[in-house]
Amino acid sequence: MTESTLFTVTFILYILSALVYLVAVFAKKEKWSGTGFVLAAAGFALHTGALILRTVVSRHAPFTNMYESLSFLAWASVLALIVLDRKFRIPRVAPYVMLIAVGLVALASSPLMPKEATPLVPALQSYWLWLHVSVTLLGEAFFAVAFVASLLYLRADTEEKKLKMDAVAYRAVAVGFPLFTLGGLIFGMVWAYKAWGTYWSWDPKEVWSLITWIVFALYLHTRIVMGWKGKRSALISIIGFLAALFTYFGVNYLLSGLHSYA
Amino acid sequence: MKSIWKFFESVKLTIILLIILALASILGTLIPQGRSAAEYAARYGSLSGLFIKLQLTGLYHSAWFLALLFTFALNTIVCTLSRLGPKWRRAFKPSFEVDEKGLQALKVKGRARFPGPLPEAAERVRTALSARRYRLKTSGTAPRLTVVAQKRRLGLFGSDTVHVGLLIILAGGVISGFTSRRGELDLRVGQTADVPHAAFQVRLDRFETEYYPQGGVKAWKSTVTVIETGAPVLTRIVEVNHPLTYKGFSFYQTSYGWDWDNPRLGIQVKKPSDTAYLKDLSLKVGERLAVADPDFTHIAVRQFVPDFVIGEGNQVQTRSLEPNNPAAQIEVWKGEEKVYSGWSFARYPDFGEGHKVGQASFSFILKTYEAPQYSVLEAATDPGVPFIWLGCIVMTVGFFLAFYWTPREIKIVLEEAQGKTEAVLGGIASKGREAFQVEFDSLIESIRRSA
Repeated sequence: MTESTLFTVTFILYILSALVYLVAVFAKKEKWSGTGFVLAAAGFALHTGALILRTVVSRHAPFTNMYESLSFLAWASVLALIVLDRKFRIPRVAPYVMLIAVGLVALASSPLMPKEATPLVPALQSYWLWLHVSVTLLGEAFFAVAFVASLLYLRADTEEKKLKMDAVAYRAVAVGFPLFTLGGLIFGMVWAYKAWGTYWSWDPKEVWSLITWIVFALYLHTRIVMGWKGKRSALISIIGFLAALFTYFGVNYLLSGLHSYA
Repeated sequence: MKSIWKFFESVKLTIILLIILALASILGTLIPQGRSAAEYAARYGSLSGLFIKLQLTGLYHSAWFLALLFTFALNTIVCTLSRLGPKWRRAFKPSFEVDEKGLQALKVKGRARFPGPLPEAAERVRTALSARRYRLKTSGTAPRLTVVAQKRRLGLFGSDTVHVGLLIILAGGVISGFTSRRGELDLRVGQTADVPHAAFQVRLDRFETEYYPQGGVKAWKSTVTVIETGAPVLTRIVEVNHPLTYKGFSFYQTSYGWDWDNPRLGIQVKKPSDTAYLKDLSLKVGERLAVADPDFTHIAVRQFVPDFVIGEGNQVQTRSLEPNNPAAQIEVWKGEEKVYSGWSFARYPDFGEGHKVGQASFSFILKTYEAPQYSVLEAATDPGVPFIWLGCIVMTVGFFLAFYWTPREIKIVLEEAQGKTEAVLGGIASKGREAFQVEFDSLIESIRRSA
């Protein structure tokens, strides 16, 4: 099987998973959640295969252009969902995370994204590419789960649902924030020092990573020290995810800087 | 003094500072930083003066932004210190003042009964706790004992460790700001240059650009020799992502280029009327070369551009310093009479057709163009860098402690009455209560089984 076949089947499985999960939530057929999970996991397995195949063929990390990094972010989001679902059982969050994954894969498949694997420019030839990008995107994937849980918190009608969504958002941030700090900021600084000669140059991508970091630092401090939970916490985590999204997409298209790869 | 301490002890201040820092940072990405005054005037008109006065054009290095960061650092120090004392006591000098009621009010709690006397019961409790890696402290005398069992105590200091890491990073940034030195070295092959602020020199031995078979640059490689007191010390290849470091200075491959002011050109002269006629000439720009030929006496290159383009006012210009469309303006004389002047393009040899010179016709082909290549290396020394890495490591450890090394504490009151002993247990964990409950239940179970 070729990478694009695997990718297409992955796409179909993610769509089916999202649909089945939605049925489980809205038709109150809780058993369907299990099927949704199996479909997501199967899609994830094929997606992993597609990423490995691409790595083998291109002989570099599978996140060096927008198509690749969107695909990897979708993969990371499904991974974050699987991990958190095994630990905390989050069938209500799952359909929307799967919809995000479907959206990312759809965006990656759009004709606007060049798909061919091109050889790496000198600046990207480093093992820090693996460490920096994969860990950062994994962190952002957990922020995506926190984002979904926070939105669901705002829409929740019972106290029990609210408590659960608040806890899920916190657990997702508790994983995402250290990963984002390590991958985005720390590994980013190490790589910048090796490639550009300075660990920090106030490049727009760096500044927006810092802004994202500050928003989640606010989330943790208001929550843990000042006891803000619930609505205000949810709003801060939503702002944090939007900042992460802008760091990922917006900076590339709207602001110019050193970090002009993906 | 006390009120100053109180001011910096406040988490509200932290929140406000973080919000201001975030907003200021956003502003700095909306206004391009470090451009010329003319550029700001064109962009923002009458506002540009105000922007420059408020230092919004060099925002991240402005006095007010640095003052914000300094206040933030002070706030972090005071907050961390003021919470350290109580945490220290909680971790290392736990209180034994507990009663049954207090334990029963906790969410994680339980009871066990032993048929035997107190010392025997206490031993069983201790064994069960030690097996789960709890550290124990005991207080009181028969018939009533209090045991405090703790594990993962360092987890209490996770957030403080993160703060210390952050402060080390900020300190590293200050050290970098005051002591880092950097400069660019433009080196031609064979050239030696003094490294600014260093007591040694570097020489560029070789520079090459490697390409992928399908096009695109694969690598820029500068072979650099460090020269100290006149003698070569070491030779290394410097590439992007592979800097050379020597005595605190690092050398980065940042750019490259050609010195197009003085290229050596190879020009081929052809006569369509005589296919056997072929003359290869090598000359520099401005050089007038005498040629033994019946049709002309001299040939010269008047001008060379690496990337030919017709600019404003029909002037020949170069679009870039890359040899994308190398072109030479060739002039031919017969005695004192200029008989030909025209452009030859290396990429489009057929463009300059045959030219009538006297009775014969000629064509000129720009075959080769060689300019000395130079490599641009950045030389940098930054004593702040080790602090940054130290801070990053400390911060990472802190994150692990804060999120995944949750402290657990179990307090047990053991009381003997009529030869039997009753144990009341209560547990505290700030996070991961489900997992703690599982451990607690298994603990109670094993205590009961042993009874």
